[in-house]
Amino acid sequence: MSATIQGPARLSPTDTVRVGASGLTSRPLRSTLSALGIAIGIAAVVSVLGISASSQAALIAQLDTLGTNLLQVQAGQNFGGATSSLPLTAEPMLSRVGPVTTVASVATVSAKAYRTSYVPVGVTNGIQVKAARLNLLDALAGTMAQGSFLTKATENYPVVVLGATTAVRLGFDTLIPNSVIDIGGKTYVVGGVMASMPLAPDIDRSALIGYPQAERDFAITGSPTTIYLRSTPDQVDAVSAVVPGTVNPANPNEVNVSLPSDALQARIATNDAFNSLFLGLGAVALLVGGVGIANVMVISVLERRSEIGLRRALGATRGNIRSQFLTEALLLAGAGGVAGVLLGAVITLIYSSTRSVQFVVPVTAVAGGIAVSLVLGAIAGLYPAVRAARLAPTEALRSV
Amino acid sequence: MSQVTVLTPQPIDRGDDPRDVMQLVNVRKIYPGPVEVLHGVDLTIKAGELVSIVGPSGSGKTTLLHLMGTLDQPTSGQVLINGIEVSSLSDRQLSAFRARTLGFVFQQFYLIDGVSAVDNVANGLLYSGVSLGRRRELAVRALRRVGLGHRLGQPPAKLSGGERQRVAIARALMARPAIVLADEPTGSLDTQSGDGVLQLLRELNTDGTTVIVITHDPAVAEAMDRQVTIRDGLIVSDVVTGGVPR
Repeated sequence: MSATIQGPARLSPTDTVRVGASGLTSRPLRSTLSALGIAIGIAAVVSVLGISASSQAALIAQLDTLGTNLLQVQAGQNFGGATSSLPLTAEPMLSRVGPVTTVASVATVSAKAYRTSYVPVGVTNGIQVKAARLNLLDALAGTMAQGSFLTKATENYPVVVLGATTAVRLGFDTLIPNSVIDIGGKTYVVGGVMASMPLAPDIDRSALIGYPQAERDFAITGSPTTIYLRSTPDQVDAVSAVVPGTVNPANPNEVNVSLPSDALQARIATNDAFNSLFLGLGAVALLVGGVGIANVMVISVLERRSEIGLRRALGATRGNIRSQFLTEALLLAGAGGVAGVLLGAVITLIYSSTRSVQFVVPVTAVAGGIAVSLVLGAIAGLYPAVRAARLAPTEALRSV
Repeated sequence: MSQVTVLTPQPIDRGDDPRDVMQLVNVRKIYPGPVEVLHGVDLTIKAGELVSIVGPSGSGKTTLLHLMGTLDQPTSGQVLINGIEVSSLSDRQLSAFRARTLGFVFQQFYLIDGVSAVDNVANGLLYSGVSLGRRRELAVRALRRVGLGHRLGQPPAKLSGGERQRVAIARALMARPAIVLADEPTGSLDTQSGDGVLQLLRELNTDGTTVIVITHDPAVAEAMDRQVTIRDGLIVSDVVTGGVPR
C-alpha cells in the first residue's frame, strides 16, 4: 500500500482575505470600535501634518510674493547706550551699492496721531507718525486696501496714509472721503489705508505722512529712522555685510541690519515645534489603538476556540490559522488606517477652507499613516495569531 | 427489539487487508495528571462499515474519536488509517490528510455564525485547494443532497437544530472523505431530527463511506450495523446488529 502523503494545499490570497474578513464581519460593532482607535490616531497625525502643510504652504506662498531679499536697517545704540541715529547720507550711499535695487526709508515724527484733537493726551499714547518715502510701498511689496499712497503732490500737503492696524484703531474700516485726523494739533486728510504688511509690522501700526510736510510741520531733520532696501536675491548676504560700513562709516557697530523674512521663516519653524507635540499625541493614540486591537484579537482567539478546532479538523494547518488571525488584525488596522487618513484629510479640508489657505495633505502622511497602521496591526496581531496556531485541535474542540 | 449477534473479537492483521481503513493497535492514551483514559484498545474497521462506538461518559470514547481523527496522538500503540501510521506524519501532513480523507460531524455542529449555509458547507473544501466558485457549486449540491436546497443562503442562526446538523453533515461530505467521524451527532437534537440525521448518515454509508458514530445513547448505537462498546478505556463488546432501521 502506497504511503505517499501529499502536503497541504495552499490557501489562495482571496481565500485568506475572505477567511480573515469573516471574523470581522460577524462582529461588526466590535470590529468598528477596535478599528476606531487606530483611526483616531492616524486622523490626528494626518490632520496635524495636513494643517501644518497647508498653513506652511500659505506662509511659503506669502514669502514668495514678499521676497526674502528685503533688508531692514535701523540705528542701534551707541557706546554710551543712547539710541544713535542714521546719517543723512545713509540713503544715497546705500543706493550706490551695486546689487541694491530699491532704497526707501521712514523717519519717526515726535508728534502722535489722534482721531480728533479732543482726545485727551493723558488717556492714550496716540499713534506713531512716520515720514515716508514715496517708494516705501514698492520696497515693502505692500498694497493699498483703500485710497492711494502718498504721491509727489500729496507728500507736500497735510495728507496721511494709515497702516492696517492704525486704520482699525482709528475707526477707518471703511474710508469715508475727506475724513480727517489730528496729528500734533494739525488736521490731516486721510488719503488711503494700506493692506497689512507682514514684513514690516511696525508700518501697520503707524500713520505715514510725506517727508516735506513732516519737515515743515514737525521739523524733522530728514535723517531716517529705518531704511528698507531690496537687493538682488543672490546677493542678500553680501549686501547685508557691507550695509553697516556704508551707512555709518565712522561707527558701523551702531547700525542694526535685519532680514524681516527671517521672522516669517521663524514662524514656519515654530509650527514645526508645535507639530511634534501633536504628532507625539497622535503616536500615543496610535499606540493605544494598537493595544486595543491586540486586546480584541486575544479575546477573539479565546472566544473562537471551537472555530479554530473545526478549521483544524477541516484540514487547516497551523500556518493557515496563524495567517487567518494575522490577516484579521491587518484588515482591522488597515481599515482603521484608511478611515483615519480620510478623517484627517476632511479635518484639514475644513481647516483650510475656514482659513482660506491652500488644501495640502502630504503624500508622506497618507502613505505613512496607512503603513504605520498596517505595521501596528501586524505587531498587535502576531501574538494572538501565534497563540491561536499553537492551540491543539483537541483542546480547541473541547466544549466549554 | 432488534436481534443481537455476539461475535468473537476481530483478529488484528496490520494493514494486510486493503479493506481495513482504520486500525487501532494496542492504543493507550494517558493525559497529564496522570490519567489513563485508554488502556490498550485494539480495533479494526473495514471500508464501508457503519460503526457505533458506544459507552457512558468518561469511558474514553471522545478520546478515541480524536485519535481516529488524527486530532491527537496516542501515548503508545499505533493508529493506522488506510494503512498509514498516523504518528509518522508531520503536523502539516496530518492537516492535509484530514482535509482529504476525514470528515467530522460534531454534537455542537460548529457552524460559523454570520456565514450562510452554502459558505459554511463550502468551508469543507476550503483547505483542499479548490476554487471558491467550485466550492460553492459543490456546496449547493451537498445541501440539496441533505434536503436543504431551500435554505442555501440562510445563516446558522435562522436554522433549526436538525437543519444545522444537516448543514454540518453536508460540510463533512464535501471532500468525499473515506471516513466520516461523528461525535454525538444527535446529542443536541430531538428524537425526530435525530432520526433524520441518522438516516442521512446511513445513506452516506450506503454510498460507500465508512461512518463511525460516537454516542452514549444505546438507541443511536443500535441503529448502526456494528456496535463497539467501550467502558473505562477498554472495549468490552463488539457486536453486529441486524441493521434494522429505527
